[in-house]
Amino acid sequence: MAGKNDAFIKRLLSTFKVEADEHIKNITAGLIELEKEMEPQVKAGIIETVFREAHSLKGAARAVNRSDMETICQSLESVFSGLKRREIDLAPSLFDTLHRSVDMLNAITLSPPEAAVADPGQISRITEKLAKAALGETGEKQAIPNDQPVPRDYPLTSETETLPPGPEPPVRETDETARTQKKAMSTVRISMEKLDSLLRQSEEMLTLKLMADRHLEDQLDLAHLFGLWDKQWAKIYPIICEFRRLQEKSDKQSGKRTQDDIRFARLLEFGELTHDNMKILESRLAELRKRSDHDRYATGLMVDNLLGDVKQILMLPFSTLFESFPKLLRDLSRDQGKDVELSISGGEIEIDRRILEEMRTVFIHLLRNTIDHGIEKPEVRKKNGKPPRGMIQIIVSRSEGNRVEILLSDDGGGIDLGGLKEASLERGIVSPEEARKLTEQDVLSLVFQSGVSTSPIITDISGRGLGLTIVREKIEKLGGRVSVETDRHKGTTIRMNLPLTVSTFRGVLVTAAERPFIIPTTDVERTVRIKREEIRTVENRETLSLEGSTIPLVKLSAVLELSERKDESPVVTILILESQGKRIGFCVDEIRTEQEILIKGMSRPLSRVRNIAAATILGSGKVVPVLNVSDLVKSATTSAIRAAKPAAPQAGGEAAKQTILVVEDSITSRMLLKNILETSGYLVKTAVDGIDAISQLKTEKFNAVVSDVDMPRMNGFNLTEKIRGDKKLAELPVVLVTALGSREDRERGIDVGANAYIVKSSFDQSNLIETLRRLI
Amino acid sequence: MKKTGRKSPGTLEDRGAVPAGTLEATPEEKRTILRARAKSLAHEPERKGEAEKYLEVLAFLLAHETYAIETVFIREVYPLTELTPLPCTPDYIFGIINIRGQILTIIDMKKFFDLPEKGITNLNRVIVVQEKDMELGILADEIIGIRNIPENALNPPLPTMTGIHAGYIKGVAGEGIILLDMERFLKDRQLIVNEEVGA
Repeated sequence: MAGKNDAFIKRLLSTFKVEADEHIKNITAGLIELEKEMEPQVKAGIIETVFREAHSLKGAARAVNRSDMETICQSLESVFSGLKRREIDLAPSLFDTLHRSVDMLNAITLSPPEAAVADPGQISRITEKLAKAALGETGEKQAIPNDQPVPRDYPLTSETETLPPGPEPPVRETDETARTQKKAMSTVRISMEKLDSLLRQSEEMLTLKLMADRHLEDQLDLAHLFGLWDKQWAKIYPIICEFRRLQEKSDKQSGKRTQDDIRFARLLEFGELTHDNMKILESRLAELRKRSDHDRYATGLMVDNLLGDVKQILMLPFSTLFESFPKLLRDLSRDQGKDVELSISGGEIEIDRRILEEMRTVFIHLLRNTIDHGIEKPEVRKKNGKPPRGMIQIIVSRSEGNRVEILLSDDGGGIDLGGLKEASLERGIVSPEEARKLTEQDVLSLVFQSGVSTSPIITDISGRGLGLTIVREKIEKLGGRVSVETDRHKGTTIRMNLPLTVSTFRGVLVTAAERPFIIPTTDVERTVRIKREEIRTVENRETLSLEGSTIPLVKLSAVLELSERKDESPVVTILILESQGKRIGFCVDEIRTEQEILIKGMSRPLSRVRNIAAATILGSGKVVPVLNVSDLVKSATTSAIRAAKPAAPQAGGEAAKQTILVVEDSITSRMLLKNILETSGYLVKTAVDGIDAISQLKTEKFNAVVSDVDMPRMNGFNLTEKIRGDKKLAELPVVLVTALGSREDRERGIDVGANAYIVKSSFDQSNLIETLRRLI
Repeated sequence: MKKTGRKSPGTLEDRGAVPAGTLEATPEEKRTILRARAKSLAHEPERKGEAEKYLEVLAFLLAHETYAIETVFIREVYPLTELTPLPCTPDYIFGIINIRGQILTIIDMKKFFDLPEKGITNLNRVIVVQEKDMELGILADEIIGIRNIPENALNPPLPTMTGIHAGYIKGVAGEGIILLDMERFLKDRQLIVNEEVGA
């Protein structure tokens, strides 16, 4: 613990050094400016600036316990406060004192922390000087305001006393000092905005690389044309030779040429001349190709190096993300009546800032999950022979190939595999036959499935079974992997593997309905080409058998809602894409190439387009949409379901609408709930309290009850109890909506048998609607 | 003496016409004519009132109708050379293009006003308009040019122009130029495409 603290202080001091340096520079600049002749207004402005800088420096010095600096700054501040109110004049002698004090501040900043206290005599002398200046040379004006008292520890001495000549830095010239001095000099502060722009521009350089590729390709095409011509020439050349021989023969026989002969000879000559020219062009082209190849290589290298360096600049240590976690955990665990301790190691490892930002949500989801499901209550822990305080560990370590491994482990109850299996069965994610065959690892991977939760109740924090799905989606998007290991009653470990930098995006260029599209390479599990006859139809859907598993097939053009002429080619090209554990084969016209691409986000008005994530610009300048694989898989499954059951939900019409009973005593809340539910297509009846609700439930059929907790006559808990106690109503989903967010209430909700418990403060309609959809 | 080919009212001939009957003007006459012309050209253009405000607009064709956008909203006009249509978007999203490395969305206004499609020709231009973070290209069948419209000569939209998109029209100027309300258009949340799968 002590070591950690030391490290923190070290970091703090280095930050302080940078900050102090900046303030000192500004003060010095201000002082130099003040010595010049200028308008009083301008002067006042500068005085104000210097005053503020001194004040800020004082605060910073106090934060790192540099009382020596604090004292000097305090005195400086008093002088400038006097100057501000024009109670003292800017005499040349005053400048000397001021500059000297700033020099001293600088010297202290550069000194190592061990030498914290510089020569106390010097400091007191300079502060005395300053104090006197603050009182005005004549001392007749009372220049010191109450809120900025001059340190009284220093008795005022006679004015004649001077400082020793030259600012002797109270610093021992050790190696370390020299090093820190150098380090302080080589650090600059740059706004993230500027860095981001730099990164963007460096990324744009990729286009150069792509263009060079493209040019080389064009030249290859040209070379190919020459090759064709060569072949043609080879065919025609014997004929030319033949003619020449014939001509020579006739020349020898008759000795004179006819007009036609001469013209023919010229034609032959020209043919050969053209041949020679072509040969020259061909060799020139070969040379050009060689140079282009070299240029492409050099450009590629330079661009990659530049991009690599810029990415390096944008790296931040994990600790910047972890800093807020102890507090977050404390708050979360207190809400749940649990006690946890967090230990972090490897926080100093640096990673791309953009990855770190994405990982924030991931960690928050995971930590919430751990507190909610993993760590048991102190009583339970004691019963199981564990220390009452739960332990959560985050370990970051470097792993092979420029990647990093993050372990998030707890010593909680572990994952209930049986419960997980049951929940998955219930949600129809696995069939009963499948469930029997699942291995332990298979069952575990179900935690990442959307909609699976072992939590007995839906709360705002978790239980909707979406957390881990989001976690996996995010990590996979970053080019990472995530897995989970669990040991019942001993704990759970989540293992994440991430790249250190956002890798340059690679994509597969395909065409569908004769239009080009890019699919991220990381999402493509594999590509296959099969004969059309190999496509099997299972339950009216096209499928493909691949290494023993059956993969549903869809047409990419159909998913993208593009019309296409009937394709009858004997061979089908298929990309197998995976998202959220689902594998689907997408048929495309052809796969053109796989290449590096530069992702260009789309801006408003295109906030989010179905199935399309972004766009990219090819080397030719053509804009190509980049597809969103997770959307594609979702679209493919929903459209397949739609195709299987043609318009069944619509056929029922109004009769199929589900009826919800809203129980709420406040008329405003009642109207609001009614409105929200009706817009989402539910039929809504209302009741003013529990008693009213019970009587309505007895006479009419409802699909769910949404109830307030706090109501007169019969509250929500009692209502839920009554519903659960009634044979006919026992299975009716009950959602409690309440302003009471405490843990006891939530537990009471579970006890009485409510299906979901939503706190009003975090009450937005999507939350409620989604919960209802899951329950009905 | 050659006649200028201008059609606008107040051609040069009116301001200093060659006296009838003479084929060749004397130097003296030439000077008089030239002076008269100079005087007339130096004249300030007629104005209906000093306080009147003009809107500088860019007029363009959509199908057979003339529309206009105030130039304050226009960043540039760009020829439409290559377009990438975007699947899974509403029909008014014409596609996306690449302007110097930036991806720009092109809107087909004809879809809002039930105008017939004309097909893409080499006269098609993209008018790039911008308001805060909303930036898009409006497809124009043909650019007519810059016009100054007196603000008080703007008539309210015709009562026959109804429907949800009537709000995009600021008014109709004298020559039948339909002025689009770009501010309202670019701020319209309905314009934003924000769709999830299965929603």
